[in-house]
Amino acid sequence: MFYDDIQFGTRMITLMAAGMLVTQLLIVGQRLLPTSIRLFSLQSFLLACLANTVAYFNHARHIYIAAFLTLLLKVIVMPLFLNRIVKRTSETTEVQSYLNTPVSILICGGLTLIGYMVAHPFIKPHQRGHSTLAVATALFLMGFFLMMNRRKAISQVLGLLTAENGLFLAAISLTYGMPLIVELGIFFDVLIAVMIFGILVYRISEIFDSLDTSKLRRLRG
Amino acid sequence: MNSESIIIFCFQACLCSYLGGAILSLVLDRWQKAANLIGFSCAVLGGLVGCVASILVLNRSIFPSLLVWPFQMPLFTFSIHLDALAGFFVLVISLLGLAISIYSLGYAAQYYGIKNVGALGAFYNLLLLSNTLVFCAGNAVFFLITWEMMSLFAYLLVSFEHEQPKTRQAGILFFIMSHIGTGCLAIGFLLLFKAAGTFNFGSFHRIGPQLSSLELNAAFLLFLAGFGVKAGIIPLHIWLPEAHPVAPTNVSALMSGVLIKSGIYGLARVLFDFLGTPPVWWGVTVLLLGSVSALLGVLYALVEHDLKRLLAFHSIENIGIILMGLGSSLVFLSFDHPVLAALALIAGLYHTINHACFKGLLFLGAGSVLHATRTRNMEDLGGLIKKMPGTAFFFLLGSVAISGLPPLNGFISEWLTYQSLLQGFGSTEKLLRLIFPITGALLALTAALAAACFVKALGITFLALPRSRQAEQAHESSGSMQAGMALLALACVFLGLFPMIFLPMLDSATQQLVGQSISSQLIAADGWLLTALGVEKGSISTLGMVSLFLVLLPLPVALRLVFSRQAKHELGETWDCGLDQLTPQMEYTATAYSKPLRMIFRAIYRPRRQVQADFEVSRYFTKSIRFETHIEPTFEKLLYRPLNRAILRLSRRIRWVQIGSLNAYLFYIFLTLLALLLWEKVY
Repeated sequence: MFYDDIQFGTRMITLMAAGMLVTQLLIVGQRLLPTSIRLFSLQSFLLACLANTVAYFNHARHIYIAAFLTLLLKVIVMPLFLNRIVKRTSETTEVQSYLNTPVSILICGGLTLIGYMVAHPFIKPHQRGHSTLAVATALFLMGFFLMMNRRKAISQVLGLLTAENGLFLAAISLTYGMPLIVELGIFFDVLIAVMIFGILVYRISEIFDSLDTSKLRRLRG
Repeated sequence: MNSESIIIFCFQACLCSYLGGAILSLVLDRWQKAANLIGFSCAVLGGLVGCVASILVLNRSIFPSLLVWPFQMPLFTFSIHLDALAGFFVLVISLLGLAISIYSLGYAAQYYGIKNVGALGAFYNLLLLSNTLVFCAGNAVFFLITWEMMSLFAYLLVSFEHEQPKTRQAGILFFIMSHIGTGCLAIGFLLLFKAAGTFNFGSFHRIGPQLSSLELNAAFLLFLAGFGVKAGIIPLHIWLPEAHPVAPTNVSALMSGVLIKSGIYGLARVLFDFLGTPPVWWGVTVLLLGSVSALLGVLYALVEHDLKRLLAFHSIENIGIILMGLGSSLVFLSFDHPVLAALALIAGLYHTINHACFKGLLFLGAGSVLHATRTRNMEDLGGLIKKMPGTAFFFLLGSVAISGLPPLNGFISEWLTYQSLLQGFGSTEKLLRLIFPITGALLALTAALAAACFVKALGITFLALPRSRQAEQAHESSGSMQAGMALLALACVFLGLFPMIFLPMLDSATQQLVGQSISSQLIAADGWLLTALGVEKGSISTLGMVSLFLVLLPLPVALRLVFSRQAKHELGETWDCGLDQLTPQMEYTATAYSKPLRMIFRAIYRPRRQVQADFEVSRYFTKSIRFETHIEPTFEKLLYRPLNRAILRLSRRIRWVQIGSLNAYLFYIFLTLLALLLWEKVY
């Protein structure tokens, strides 16, 4: 059957990684916060599918657990949580960035190139889904760029989450999954980070009447 | 059960009881008495089994290190090893810990209801635990972790009475200094790691030749600075006289006795075990630093009137003496005289355990005085010998020992140090030949000044009349406090009278570090005589002196009975120049006592004095005189303050990096990340 063919698996993995890259670019270009959150949810869904595929073709059973957790936390729980924060605090649902969209997209293109350059020495042609590491690096760099470029705290959280998606992708594409305990640790970490960010966001909006983190400048000693 | 498994069991029991003591103290901190009793009893138990384990280790004729506890963590394999050098230092800490813990049972009682006794007990136990682990860490990373833990718990204990701003300042100074030291150590170990490829101490053994000479010398200087901060080598000593006085006394005794010795341990481990045959200038540097520390330490102690600060400066002096031993041992090693190197090393190590005993004893004595009178200022004390005879006796014993007077232990190790310096004169050449007699003379001066200083400390504190109401109302300290002091006094006497029992225990340590065991050459005439490698080169017998003294003791009594039977005796009051009675104002003060020395060493002290007289009507009718004298804190003024200012100026200059914008900070991280990724690509 075609779903036992390793060639098919490789293509599927590459396809889904490409999908993640595209969603990331869309998030960078997106101006509305709720849509960005939905795009993140989609990206995480692709990641979960990719993890499942890797688990299936490499008979690595513990990746199923990681995939399931991704599905539960990143596709469902965190987007809901972020949406709720947006609703509670929203003055405007528009993301505000320092650089305009075309420039941002151009920079992200550059970052993707850097990702491929950096990942090149690690790629072995016979390895399945060999460009996923490059994609992962690019995702990570773009997530970082997102955090840097956005003014609002929530969209910075979103940047952090996409960067974490990139890390997870790198982990499963390189080693077919880290030890389960490490993965669980990372999940827990990110979950806590998002919770704390949520609380922090409330506080920021209460005190500064805005979610614009550039106003935190006043805290400088 | 063979001896190895007994050692391992005892040592594990020692570590466990420290840990157990820490946990139980914290659990019981509501019931302060129970916390005190159980916490410090656990420490007593730990000290006891630690002593047993380390003595057994030192008595083994073979010395491959014993693996006590291997444990695996991701990335690193940590292990606890006991070899001869570690065993020796574990003996020092266990012996001192045992005595101080007994003392603490009574000492901590003063904190009931005022401070958290449970926390004191817990931190105390943890300090003992981490310090013991420092001595037997078998891996550089683990060593640094325990080293930092030790500094952290010491910091917490130093700032235990944190209500006083001075205590907080001292704690922070200690913290900063020890962090600078740890930074140096980390770089040093990374240099060794570069050559060895692992962090295991086993693989560092004699690794020096694999490093380039630049790296080797850099490693030496880094380790010297890093361990020197903890040991309190001048000019890195400034934390010592600040931190020791403000800590609770049992802690200052522990810090002065053992914590600063961890610097000596590190130097011995690194210089002898890791870096291989040293260049001549290393040994000379250590020797000269030691001499300077010894002399300046005792000079600063002489003009100090705070009892605990005085003792802290004496710690600097004694560390200097220990370093003189280590330094001359290094010089002998580079000239390929392993037997002399072993002699000098033995002198250094012997002084290490001696200093732990008598300095611990003196600190405990000072603690009893502080406990009874609530003041550390000697000018307010006096006459305590009548109120606290036991404490006074133990303080006297400690003073005799630290002044290097026979027959106590300080004498033995200083004698050994002299002997190695003198024999260095005979076995080196040219300019170097001069260094040995000069440092020997400095050591002699140091010992004499130390004796003068303790005449002052003992005389002003314990003799004559009380100078304040607190001193008048002093009371003898409790039984457990006296028991702790008695134990250390006994150790001083034992180490002084029976070096021939103790010296063979150092054999395996010198065998490990310089490849020679020479205790059989040091002992002559069936153990009665201590020689410097041969009777003709110099010999001494403290046991003989004491026996002679005991034999001759009845003689003057008998002579008096024989010859002065007819003489008339009359007991009277102390002569008071015809005044009504003697008052404390007529007493010699500590300031006055040290005045001649202040004048002789004016170039070093740079004293400033201020006399201000209030008078009525005419200058000849003075109402009151205010007299103030200060000595200049040379190192603070010439070294640390300019350094401090330079750092502040630099930080102000790079302050603009802190813009206050989250995005900018993220941008910094991002740029660094990109730069690292691309750098990896290019190279």
